[in-house]
Amino acid sequence: MTSSSHKLLHVVDLKIGIPHPRRETLIMVDNANFDIGYGEMLGMVGESGSGKTMVCRSMIGTLERRGATVLEGQVLFEDQDLAHASESHWKKLRGKAIGYVPQSALAGPNPVLTIQAQLAEALQKSEAKGSIAEQSKRLLDLVKIRRVDTVLKQYPNQLSGGMRQRVMIACALASEPKLLIADEPTTGLDVTVQSQIMELLKDIRREFGTAIILISHDLALIDDVCDRVVVMHAGATVEVGSVAQLAVPRHPYTIALNQSRIDIAEPGSELVTILGSAPSVGEWPLGCRFAARCIFRQNDCSLGANHPPLFGERGSHQSACLHTELLKGAK
Amino acid sequence: MPTYRIIEGSQVSQSIIEAEDVSVTFGSGANKVEAVKNVSLTLAAGEPLGIVGESGSGKSTLARVLAGLQPPTSGQVLFNGEPVYRGNRSYIGEARRQVQMVFQDPYASLNPQLTALSAVAEAVRIHNKCDKKEAESKALELLRRMGIAQLDAIKKPRQLSGGQRQRASVARALSANPSVLLADEPTSAIDQSAQAQLLNLFRGLLNQGLAIVLVSHDLGVIRYLTKRVYVMKDGVFVESGNTEEIFNNPHEDYTKELLASIPGALGVAARRRRSA
Repeated sequence: MTSSSHKLLHVVDLKIGIPHPRRETLIMVDNANFDIGYGEMLGMVGESGSGKTMVCRSMIGTLERRGATVLEGQVLFEDQDLAHASESHWKKLRGKAIGYVPQSALAGPNPVLTIQAQLAEALQKSEAKGSIAEQSKRLLDLVKIRRVDTVLKQYPNQLSGGMRQRVMIACALASEPKLLIADEPTTGLDVTVQSQIMELLKDIRREFGTAIILISHDLALIDDVCDRVVVMHAGATVEVGSVAQLAVPRHPYTIALNQSRIDIAEPGSELVTILGSAPSVGEWPLGCRFAARCIFRQNDCSLGANHPPLFGERGSHQSACLHTELLKGAK
Repeated sequence: MPTYRIIEGSQVSQSIIEAEDVSVTFGSGANKVEAVKNVSLTLAAGEPLGIVGESGSGKSTLARVLAGLQPPTSGQVLFNGEPVYRGNRSYIGEARRQVQMVFQDPYASLNPQLTALSAVAEAVRIHNKCDKKEAESKALELLRRMGIAQLDAIKKPRQLSGGQRQRASVARALSANPSVLLADEPTSAIDQSAQAQLLNLFRGLLNQGLAIVLVSHDLGVIRYLTKRVYVMKDGVFVESGNTEEIFNNPHEDYTKELLASIPGALGVAARRRRSA
């Protein structure tokens, strides 16, 4: 850990599961491994059910609400271990150092609170100077909402999807976090609104040096705005690297994801799709969990009880594939 | 490169759908909303056509008008030269069967109580007037063509993935043996590899001669599938023409903005052109 201890957050061999009094513990995340530096923008990509949201929940202390718990590993945020923090510890931490923008902008804000009340709640723990009203206005300015006085008096249903997401980002920024987690912040929004929200995230990072984790299933979007990428499949990190490094992927899953991108496909050409679907939680096979869908599969891929670890030095381009030598030339 | 059985441009003799001067107004007085304003459009048999625009541009309303589901306030839609709407009511006839629609949210459009198989079989039975057993085997075949195996076909919508649900609703639309498929934002609720799978299916359907109207806010999807596109804003078409040409040489500022917003390589290229 010494080599990269200047980073803001380390997720090390994280294992998350839902314990059951009689049956076996249901494992949802196993082998999650990545770091994020100060002011860095990290993209997290993977299909539905790959454990992206669970990993992020472990950083904001809301795993328990889903009955889940960290079984092994560490989530180190500025040398505090969040993985085993108590609820009273979380009460001090939550919403302060790490901000969270939920997936559904339309369902995110409380429908019976005005934007003013919404922001006041988020500002409760703020130590910044000025009255709540002044701070609310400043926050809305920050997320580039015009007509601030009108918006403050409105309810979420009176705002468009893009505006609602801006309000959610404003709430997450209320306590000037060092890390902002945006969980699919633009799903269901138009591409034009999506590109505005992305510009906003980039501005926030530039202005305040906020590190940002952007969760998305859209590799093209991550390419546009992120520095580094972590690829998740069936609860495990299968590849980590810079955006440039991932253009030459070292894991078959990333290769397949790249090939299914329509922004680089020839119009009307056959798009590559990934065989089958990811194994469900509780039905993970032995060995590599991608093997059954992999076109490069070898006999030894499904041997061994555990999913292959990430090979290569932490912080460099890492992949969890046993046979990267077979992938040369594939993009 | 696969070849499309389509005719460039629009020759009146070959158009399967013609919308003439269509307007749709909702509400009245202060609440009056003109969703679609004097829009005309043609669709050739077997043509992949795109309609692109943001939320609120009127594109979904227009799609509903073309599908025979929303009588226009003024104007007319012709299907094979026959008017679709008579007075204020839609004409229940050939057009209803031949023009099928797939909606944005497959979860909302499939009956949660029915398995994918029974949902499709029901549609097969209605459109083909066959008995239950025959309908089921036809439905299974349709689902199989859409990449849904028998094991998944007997699942209910909530047990299926987003991509599978969307493909099940395409299978249901195809049960009527339509000549036009209207797809309203079919890819916006599903993830990247499911999107690729659906687009591959659409390409296969085009090769079999089906016309597809793809309604989307994402020009990336439109570029991949269609040959001709209408760009819609505030209820009117601001630009239309050959998809590739519009991509390489957009005239309207609005189209340029849409192009620059596409995530990934396409948007980067468009932004570079715009600032050059």
